[in-house]
Amino acid sequence: MKNIIVGQYIPGKSFLYKMDPRSKILALFILMVSAFVFKDITHIIYMLLGVLVILKIGGIPIMRIARGLRPIMILLLFTFTFQVLFIKTGPVILDTVLTLTTINIGIMILAIVVWYYTRRYIKSKFFYMVLVIVGILTMLSLFTPGTVISSSNLTIYEDGLLGASFIMVRLIIIVTLSTILTLTTKPTDLNLGLERILKPLNLVKINSEEIALIISIALRYIPTLLDEANKIMLAQASRGVDFTEGKFKDKVMQIISLLVPMFIISFKRSDDLANAMEARSFVPGNKRTRIHILSWQSRDTLVIVFCLLVLTATVVVRVYL
Amino acid sequence: MAIKFEQVSFQYPSFDGKNFSALENINLEISDKGEFITLIGETGSGKSTLVQHMNALLRPNTGSVTIYGIKIEKNTNKNKKIKLNPLRQKVGLVFQFPEYQLFEETVLKDIIFGPKNFGVKEDEAIKRAKEVIKHVGLTEDYLGRSPFNLSGGEQKRVSIAGILAMEPDILVLDEPTSGLDPKGRDALLELFTNIHKKLNKTIIIITHDMNTVYKYASRVVVMHDAKLVYDGLPNMLFMDENIEKWNLDLPDIIGITKQLEAKLDITFTKKPHNVNELFELMKGVL
Ligand SMILES: Nc1ncnc2c1ncn2[C@@H]1O[C@H](COP(=O)(O)OP(=O)(O)OP(=O)(O)O)[C@@H](O)[C@H]1O
Ligand SMILES: [Mg+2]
Repeated sequence: MKNIIVGQYIPGKSFLYKMDPRSKILALFILMVSAFVFKDITHIIYMLLGVLVILKIGGIPIMRIARGLRPIMILLLFTFTFQVLFIKTGPVILDTVLTLTTINIGIMILAIVVWYYTRRYIKSKFFYMVLVIVGILTMLSLFTPGTVISSSNLTIYEDGLLGASFIMVRLIIIVTLSTILTLTTKPTDLNLGLERILKPLNLVKINSEEIALIISIALRYIPTLLDEANKIMLAQASRGVDFTEGKFKDKVMQIISLLVPMFIISFKRSDDLANAMEARSFVPGNKRTRIHILSWQSRDTLVIVFCLLVLTATVVVRVYL
Repeated sequence: MAIKFEQVSFQYPSFDGKNFSALENINLEISDKGEFITLIGETGSGKSTLVQHMNALLRPNTGSVTIYGIKIEKNTNKNKKIKLNPLRQKVGLVFQFPEYQLFEETVLKDIIFGPKNFGVKEDEAIKRAKEVIKHVGLTEDYLGRSPFNLSGGEQKRVSIAGILAMEPDILVLDEPTSGLDPKGRDALLELFTNIHKKLNKTIIIITHDMNTVYKYASRVVVMHDAKLVYDGLPNMLFMDENIEKWNLDLPDIIGITKQLEAKLDITFTKKPHNVNELFELMKGVL
């Protein structure tokens, strides 16, 4: 649970912290657009390197980001697999027949069982799983003694592989960039910055202040709710709920015993928050003065100019190369 | 010994790398027969953290907690052979805030949830529920109500009933009397005393009320700044000079006695436990 670091501010001193939140949000936006403009795997890998450089200069440990990426690893893996399997253009890289026979099905089951019981002793569970899957696939294509039960074709095309890697890198870049923003910006600053940036929307009757408030409250409450979930799990564990095991029917009960208090507590919290805001005379849409005044400095202009250059470069690359 | 803490330290992890130390080098032994322990200490001193080690909800970062012969250490959960669940039936823990555990549609279902998890048959569990709901000072009518429409104090009682119905050997209660009216508080404490006396079970109560400590406890443990600073008799605790430093105060009756002693310039032969004893002492000197 503690791996989820989205929405979590970590104090620090690098230039990323000194920047104006407005320029950071704008820069994030521009860079994200650039990430979407790229169409070529080599270019987007250059961009990934660029992002790593930003991390390095900004003094954010890469491990932090990697840990934050872990929860979406499964998502990445799914996208990757589907892309690889369903894009069928370009030269063929791998063409093989996966054959299920009476003998290798046994080995496969054995491998899965061994994996299941040994995985808790392995530190990087994710790579262990990938390794086992790759191993099983290799065996199915190469080692086929015995009577054939069923067989199917596995064909991987170059475009599929490249496309899949491309989307993975793009997703990683986007998540990393947004994590940088929330890691280095205090929620209050983030709120203020968003509000200012969304100000033009007021012209079309969309209240930027409210949107900013909603976003910042949501971000603010992610860690709190995780903490609450943790406490509820402890309270239920002391009544004999074993969250680590159980049959399917027990699992449903376990989840209900976690979710119901979670909802009740969230509603209560939001009620309390609303009352607390009202008690401090918060009226939506009223004019307010600020404690923190944002100040746009030359370094912010510099960063934005740089990001715009990156964007222009990507557009040029996209159009002319 | 049912529970034994050996050099236990525990840190809450935090995002910025600086871990927060909530327990430092705790050594403690608790028997499951006939102890009535109160655990006191200022806010944030680590009391709740300590009791969550007693049924293996939290695992120490260093040191070990042995609960009914099962040794809990930092990496204990890696080994799935050790079943922690039965420990939680033996050591029943009532949390500080009831809203973390109530979730069923009716109070009855909520109370039988614990016992059923530990393999008690449904009708037996219902029988227990009807018993314990009376013990915690509510009537059977409450069994059909939704736990979410109850007042804070009533929720607290229901959450206590939910643990009582598990019939643990050691009953640990995190501030069971906070938010209760004086009469309800006394009734609950009488209930715990009864369980303690009749069934010879060990009761551990976290409290901020020195009168409770003085009146009910046979042993008092004081936490201060993540460390265990006192473990002994309540009588002796209130003679200790350090109680100011530990942010504790005196039970009312001892406070009155001390003032009387100062005013009348006398010293009583012993410290009274209630008004009657004080009265007897007064008669002796006047
Ligand atoms: N989940 C948590 N994450 C991080 N720190 C925590 C967590 N729970 C408690 N702490 C910290 O650990 C310290 C001890 O907390 P604990 O809840 O044990 O105190 P306590 O003695 O029970 O206080 P109280 O009398 O207010 O209930 C506190 O300073 C608290 O800030
Ligand atoms: Mg507490």
